[in-house]
Amino acid sequence: MNFKVRAARKEDCKDISRMIMELAVYEKMPDQVKISHEELERDGFSPNPFYECLIAEVPDEHKTKDGYTIVGYVLYFYTYSTWKGRSVYMEDLYVMPDFRGKGIGKGLMAKVAQVGVEKQCVRLQLSVLDWNKPSLDFYVAKGAEDLTAKEGWHFLRFDGQSLDTLAKEAPKD
Amino acid sequence: MANFILRKAEPKDVSDILRLIKELAKFEKMEEQVILTEKELLEDGFGDHPFYHCFLAEVPEDHQSSDGYTVIGFAMYYFTYDPWIGKLLYLEDFYVMKEFRGYGIGSDILKHLSETAVKTRCSSMHFIVAEWNKPSIEFYKRRGASDLSDEEGWRLYAIEKDDLLKISTK
Repeated sequence: MNFKVRAARKEDCKDISRMIMELAVYEKMPDQVKISHEELERDGFSPNPFYECLIAEVPDEHKTKDGYTIVGYVLYFYTYSTWKGRSVYMEDLYVMPDFRGKGIGKGLMAKVAQVGVEKQCVRLQLSVLDWNKPSLDFYVAKGAEDLTAKEGWHFLRFDGQSLDTLAKEAPKD
Repeated sequence: MANFILRKAEPKDVSDILRLIKELAKFEKMEEQVILTEKELLEDGFGDHPFYHCFLAEVPEDHQSSDGYTVIGFAMYYFTYDPWIGKLLYLEDFYVMKEFRGYGIGSDILKHLSETAVKTRCSSMHFIVAEWNKPSIEFYKRRGASDLSDEEGWRLYAIEKDDLLKISTK
């Protein structure tokens, strides 16, 4: 199937938002999606963007039954390892179910890898849910290593009340 | 000893930052993995598009460390993005030299980071900890941190440069 991978534009944010929700449903956490296309527009298309995004687009004759031609996306940003330097973090990679098995996911990921190499990144990192076997297999086949298993890394978070409480106790300048 | 200041790192601090990075890596039993240089730290942190932000804990000269250092702790962070909740503050490294622990320096660093997160409109502060690092996990959990790997099953994966090159040219 004919598809094109290109940089997302501000007007694509409604489609990206739609697919973010589809991915959240797949990950069994739809109630955790709190932002809409407006925040995506503000945070990705200002002079200091907090993420970059590529989308996969099919020609009109292959559009979805709801009429969409944008059928996949990858959202990523740059991080920094104090051991190795510049890295790229792939936050979301998603292709609509009807468009899988056609190389679109592979194409999106190849473009991110290319961007990472061009920006002199030493590695690409991502996180996957432990039950998500199709995704785990996809990434392992490309050389991904499970650092949670290998080195014992766990993700931790401060949010909501715990973050506010800490912030209020911060030493004054 | 309670006299210390927290200040933003400057280009002149890169050798202290690298020293502390290596000490932390040694504590994490991965010292040989640090290949970053002072030159890269300088370019990547103090150029046109910084890849990271850093602040330091400094003590007065009369309280310097046993090997003569006044910069005795640091935190390195950057901003990341969660498509569900927006901007996040990601804490990459956080370390206080052993002889300066127990004085509230680490606690103040964490509070300053949290304040930075709130001021910059971040909904959350994320970081990773090695599961065997019980003192650090306790430190964070006491202050309200949740373990997303345990609670939701998230696992960290990495693809190194040589495999990245293979993927990008296919």
